[in-house]
Amino acid sequence: MKVPVKVTVNKKNYNVEVDTRMILADMLRDELRLTGTHIGCGTGSCGACTVMLNGHTVKSCCILAADADGQEITTIEGLSTGAQHLHPIQEAFVENQGLQCGYCTPGMVLSTLQLLTDKPNPTEDEIRHGIAGNLCRCTGYQFIVKSIQEAAKTINSKPAASKPAAAAVASRG
Amino acid sequence: MISQEFEFHAPKQLSEALNLLQRYGDDAKVLAGGMSLVPLMTLGLLQPKVVVSFNHIRELDYVNEDKGMLRIGAMTRHSTIRANPLIGRHCPLLSEAASYVGDVQVRHRGTIGGSVAHADPAADYPPVMLVVGAQVKLQSAKGERVVKMENFLKGLMQTDLLPGELLTEIQIPKLPDGAGSSYQRLHRVEGNFAIVNAAAVIEKGFKSARLGLGGVGETAILVDVTKRLGKGVNDEALRGVSDDAYAASHDAYGDLNGDADYRKAMARIYAQRVTKAAAARMS
Repeated sequence: MKVPVKVTVNKKNYNVEVDTRMILADMLRDELRLTGTHIGCGTGSCGACTVMLNGHTVKSCCILAADADGQEITTIEGLSTGAQHLHPIQEAFVENQGLQCGYCTPGMVLSTLQLLTDKPNPTEDEIRHGIAGNLCRCTGYQFIVKSIQEAAKTINSKPAASKPAAAAVASRG
Repeated sequence: MISQEFEFHAPKQLSEALNLLQRYGDDAKVLAGGMSLVPLMTLGLLQPKVVVSFNHIRELDYVNEDKGMLRIGAMTRHSTIRANPLIGRHCPLLSEAASYVGDVQVRHRGTIGGSVAHADPAADYPPVMLVVGAQVKLQSAKGERVVKMENFLKGLMQTDLLPGELLTEIQIPKLPDGAGSSYQRLHRVEGNFAIVNAAAVIEKGFKSARLGLGGVGETAILVDVTKRLGKGVNDEALRGVSDDAYAASHDAYGDLNGDADYRKAMARIYAQRVTKAAAARMS
């Protein structure tokens, strides 16, 4: 059964027809060709498919594409316009080697964006809880934590107007 | 892609949704947050013919206070439960329980109604709901009824819900003044279901003391330990609480996270911990 879905992804409007069986992660990748969202486990454990739905991180493998109708989504593609203009969080991950294979990175970066929106100066403990929904099988997390600490410093040192805000909606906590 | 074909509905009004559940009966599956349902469908373990999503029904997302009672809409997300000031003031152990559910992403999407209706034996809310004397409102196109939590939980992922019925509201009496409460859980990996979890509410002056235990039976279990705490919290009282928790866990199951004996032993420990913590918070 096909259903029409109207979504806003990275501030762009899309009208697509999807099979009711399609999950949101597949819609983003296969229909909208936004392949920055990765699928790891497909069952809500690994967080590689993390996107922002109405301003809050969710796992897009656990949401039916049809159920995203009328919603606003931000994917990793929405954070920067290209390798020359990376988001400060992405830059911090590059600078601090916060990745090895990179498969978990889009999810990690979006979870970091959520964390720093909720808590601009997180403790190490808060960082580890903040990324508890994202598995990394390469790094052992140490450099990821360091990247997030550095990203927080960079963002906090900038004047308020130029701070990158998480997608629009206020935090739910 | 989920392999099994199904029909999908995303009504915007509760009345419309209840009519759909009435029409499709047993064939329909309710999609709340989807944190359990969607993976189960992806894995092919559940193959509903019809899925009715409640994510677009705004009228089921609320937290109100009314006549000594907290009323929580079934579609309220865990992140809201965790941060809501009314819940923090009148049922702080529910906020504590919500902070353990899944991870950040899961808490943003998962709902209290979905979790309670899913009735996992080690879920975070049931022990809390038992000790605070919560009840659930079940609505269908034909009417509504209110069921106490202990009567709602029927068995392993089994509830009192009938085909066509939906859990629409959680009703929680505010904790009495001066009562102390605590929720704690044992887990190896953050984000996993608890191996054992426990909640306690102790009324001022040890007037009453109740324990809720999860992970040690087909459903969460309510244990009244008022008699054990007649003289306050001392070693003998805690031994008594521990014995009661052990006895109540006689139907404990085993899985790869812990066998039945381990769970029973941990029920002793966690019963004591929440009792001590709740007593310390009593005023």
